[in-house]
Amino acid sequence: MSNTQVQLSLSDDLAKDVAIAVTRSMRETFGVDVTAGTAEYGDGMVSLVGDISGIIGMVQQQLEGTLMLCMTFETVRDILPQVVGKSIVITHEMAVDAVGELTNMIFGQIKSDLNQRGHQIKLGIPCVVSGKGHFVSQFHRGKYLIVPFHLDGQLFQVYIAVHPGQAAKDLALQG
Amino acid sequence: MSQLANLKVLIADDHFLIRQFVRNTLKDSKVENVQTAADGNEAIDLVQKARQAGQAYDVVFLDWNMPTISGLEVLSYFRAKPEYADTAFVMLTAESEQANIMKAIKAGATSYIVKPVSPADLGKKLFEINEWLKRKRQVAGGIFG
Repeated sequence: MSNTQVQLSLSDDLAKDVAIAVTRSMRETFGVDVTAGTAEYGDGMVSLVGDISGIIGMVQQQLEGTLMLCMTFETVRDILPQVVGKSIVITHEMAVDAVGELTNMIFGQIKSDLNQRGHQIKLGIPCVVSGKGHFVSQFHRGKYLIVPFHLDGQLFQVYIAVHPGQAAKDLALQG
Repeated sequence: MSQLANLKVLIADDHFLIRQFVRNTLKDSKVENVQTAADGNEAIDLVQKARQAGQAYDVVFLDWNMPTISGLEVLSYFRAKPEYADTAFVMLTAESEQANIMKAIKAGATSYIVKPVSPADLGKKLFEINEWLKRKRQVAGGIFG
């Protein structure tokens, strides 16, 4: 196996990976079809608002990043009955559980796709933040990518932010 | 009656969503004798107790990352015991690194399924696992029967 690491960049290819991972996870697990919207790219800090967010840290040799799935409780309440049954009352715990597992599946798949292309990415421990209308703000000086998804008039977002890691900063200082 | 209907299955996953998803898929394949465990310790306990009671599980689905004991550790624990050689241990996990898949196969996983998986694909895998069980038990019957 080659040890050459391919530097990750926030590109349309990555947005496509995100779209494929999300639509596949939603279709195969919940039997629902979601549509990816136009990806948005930007610099610096951005805040997302939602009710339940799944967050995972990501590192590459010269890069650090955050992956996030941000949903409303209504979206989770719409998709969960496909699995747990229509007569079941969706509790907060069920919604948190579902977003945690979706986060695992989506970002696990993206990591796998990227690593097959030589990116050698590692993921941290996923965590789920919940609370009606909470903000998740990323404090970084790098770039971000947001891919919106639509499901029956509802919106949820996948967010990826990256900035140079310590190894890249050390290299820059040496250079 | 479906040839899968007699299977006894344990689903070990800390996520309620996945336990329910697999249970539903098994139900569609007429597999009704299904229990669940929310962590590795509970899985070990249930598998051992079932065998002691003479009602061993045929198939055990294991998530990789679970509280207390990981699915890989549960797999290794039982593969070190010859009496569980004819039990199918199936990793069902979002962990998709090739190195980890190899690790599980070397530890004796009967099959490795990466989540997300569709109900149709899980059903096909279940059919393959049942074929593995039949072969395994024919061989054991041929030698010891």
